[in-house]
Amino acid sequence: MSGAPDSEIQLLIERARGGDTRAFEDLARREERALYRHALRIVGTTSDAEDIVQDALFSAWRSIASFQGLSFRAWLFRIATNRALDQLRSRKRRPELPLDPPDDDDVTWAEPVAPGPDLTQLAGDREALAAVETALASLPAEQRTALLLRDVEGFPYEEIAVITSVEIGTVKSRIHRGRLAVRNVLIARGWRGPDG
Amino acid sequence: MQHPHAELSAYIDGALDPAAQATVDGHLVTCALCRAHVAQLRATAALVHALPDPVPSRRLVPRLATAPSWLAPLRTLMTLASGAAVFLFLASALATNITPLATSGAPATTAREASGDTAAKVQAPVAQPAGVATATPAPVPAASPNAAFAVGPTSSPVADNVVRGAATAQPGGRGDTATGASPAPGAAVNPQDAAWSTLSVPQRSPLLNPWLWLALAILCGVAAIALNRRLRGSV
Repeated sequence: MSGAPDSEIQLLIERARGGDTRAFEDLARREERALYRHALRIVGTTSDAEDIVQDALFSAWRSIASFQGLSFRAWLFRIATNRALDQLRSRKRRPELPLDPPDDDDVTWAEPVAPGPDLTQLAGDREALAAVETALASLPAEQRTALLLRDVEGFPYEEIAVITSVEIGTVKSRIHRGRLAVRNVLIARGWRGPDG
Repeated sequence: MQHPHAELSAYIDGALDPAAQATVDGHLVTCALCRAHVAQLRATAALVHALPDPVPSRRLVPRLATAPSWLAPLRTLMTLASGAAVFLFLASALATNITPLATSGAPATTAREASGDTAAKVQAPVAQPAGVATATPAPVPAASPNAAFAVGPTSSPVADNVVRGAATAQPGGRGDTATGASPAPGAAVNPQDAAWSTLSVPQRSPLLNPWLWLALAILCGVAAIALNRRLRGSV
């Protein structure tokens, strides 16, 4: 809910819970694009991502009376994330990476073999961002989801645990493994990390 | 001390409890490798955060406020109505044509004889309805419901019909030559031809006018498409 004071959001939520459709549309519109980018990076296809977000928002409207506890934003992300992961699971014809990989700790740190560009200077580099997208897409969906919720959407670990219905320790592990995998892909492409 | 590799992401996210955070802080002072890894993970997180925002191709927020509950049934109704109107269009076109066909077997020969002249006259501008009328003796008025009562080349009502048919064909812009030109009775069996040749002939009942049903089909179809698009935005 960027750019709007909490009191305004709370007022809209109360009005929406009271049946005010315009208040709900206002709230939903603020998260529409964020939900879309999140769903798109989970399922990978634009039409599926659009359907998921539209269904999720409609579902949220129908069950808004049951909304409590989470932040409204996290609540919307929970509904959309569940739908996106459900759709991935239902794609039986297409071989999918395991949603939840074995919980081992043998994540290795690839080290740069030759000097390359500094990772911290790559944020504007299209090639680097494309490499990050590719690396994200290759992650197991649960890791990808956790990493996106953290690094793109900025949710705290506690909310990511609620959104994805797992323990906070699992969230910590998924984020770290996902981030390390992306880092390793970049290192493998010739970039070196910034000197600590 | 062992490297706290598995804790480094949580460390940079501030997700460790204060004691664990302090432990990692202490380790980083003395471990250049872990400092490098922390910097790399921070840079990776920054890159993920910097990914461009994709934009959806359509509005994803359902239009709850303006989508009445009767919209979906109305769309279904319009779709069915459109289909029914198409059926009635074809049926009325055939009905107004087939009835006379059944009774116009006798003048077939005359029609065939006349067809040569007719074919020639068909090329003439439609602005001369009188010429067309004299050249099309029998099966042409088959398209008219009145023809059931006035079959034969010598019947004057038929000639009248033809004249009127040819004349009214002009505004239609397409039924012009088709009306005066259907020389062989067999040609009218094709529903498409039947439809076109019927369109320009005055109808006895408005319900038998194929134009009515065609227009209704188009109207209902457009309404169904519009409602469908409207509903897609409101789930």
